[in-house]
Amino acid sequence: MNCDDARLLIHGHLDGELDLVRDLEVERHLEECPRCAREYAALRAMRTRLKEEEFRFEAPAELKEKIRRSIPEPSPRRANAYPSQRGPWAPRAIRFAVPMAIGAMLALVIMPRALAPNANQRIAGEVVASHVRSLMAGHLMDVVSTDQHTVKPWFNGKLDFSPPVTDFAKDGFPLVGGRLDYLEGRPVAALVYQHGKHVINVFMWPATGEATSAQRIETEHGYHVDQMTVAGMNCWVVSDLNQQELDKFAGLLRAKG
Amino acid sequence: MPDETKAVDFDRTFLPHMDAAYNLARWLVRDDHDAQDVVQEAYLRAVRFAGGFRGGDPRAWILAIVRNAAFTWLKRNRGADQTTEFDEQMHGEAIEENGLEADTVRKADGALIRAALDELPAEFREVIVMRDIEGLSYKEIADAAEVPIGTVMSRLARARAKLARSIQDRIAKER
Repeated sequence: MNCDDARLLIHGHLDGELDLVRDLEVERHLEECPRCAREYAALRAMRTRLKEEEFRFEAPAELKEKIRRSIPEPSPRRANAYPSQRGPWAPRAIRFAVPMAIGAMLALVIMPRALAPNANQRIAGEVVASHVRSLMAGHLMDVVSTDQHTVKPWFNGKLDFSPPVTDFAKDGFPLVGGRLDYLEGRPVAALVYQHGKHVINVFMWPATGEATSAQRIETEHGYHVDQMTVAGMNCWVVSDLNQQELDKFAGLLRAKG
Repeated sequence: MPDETKAVDFDRTFLPHMDAAYNLARWLVRDDHDAQDVVQEAYLRAVRFAGGFRGGDPRAWILAIVRNAAFTWLKRNRGADQTTEFDEQMHGEAIEENGLEADTVRKADGALIRAALDELPAEFREVIVMRDIEGLSYKEIADAAEVPIGTVMSRLARARAKLARSIQDRIAKER
């Protein structure tokens, strides 16, 4: 990251608005660049000052009173204690909303059973949940490294298998780290790759049974999930990347197997 | 369940944000009486349009109305000068270095900081007030100021750089 980029991104960093990968990049840059670190310290001090009470104007009491009085009392839009006095839209809204809400609740209760998802769909769900959790909880990586020779040994002694670790940086998918995760009732290796702003999680554990060909399992949350067997490993790839790019990445991964 | 089907309770939803509304209006129009007019006008509009409120953050919703009322007021009362001084790409692509020391800001006189903020273009004042004083998220600022979320960070970066620079210049002049 250069200083021009940093000078913009430190604001997102200050405001806690960056995705994890970029946030880490900014943090690394601030550690290395005293000039940007000084800018950042000044911005942070400035923001702390601006939070002081003296910079916030409070509405004058007479304005509040005026506004309160100016709000028409029997506003047809306002909730009312008596349904009969509600606007004509209200009973209609209830007529639609209540059955819809009940329907939605029933769907939640019944669907998972009625659809009886096969094992793959269930794992896909777990994979997506793990992916989302890894992005949320500040727990994307246990070992941060773009070096496959650092990431691979890190798993030693933590897993009863050794996952294949390859960096695809020259193809536009740099390895950024790895962590332990838990899927299907067992500890698994999670490799983290990056493509632009997007994060790709690859979950791996030894395949049991015969090798499966690659298949795509769509999920409803805007994430794409690919499943394949690579070097005897059951591989699950998940990302919010678009189809083509994820296909490209899956191709790279498979070519290793 | 029945709560979702009710109309929004205007008093309880929007009246608690009168201070936030006034604060934004006061920073934008920079005059106590005019700010009161703007807020009152905004609340009258809000009452009329409350039916269009679809949940979400009521503060961001009311602030969107306040900022529109304030910008309308600025245009009407101060001619074009407010908008011509603002240009998203004023200083090219890069954000200027602010050259400010953290310790200097910490010790700076409050009146000096206020004056520096007061002199920023309205679009810059707006994002700083929404983010730093009111604590809105980028998404809420994007909604309230009706700009793409990607614009929020760059505008904020430029606004803060300009504010820091102005604070620095003012202090240098005092010495």
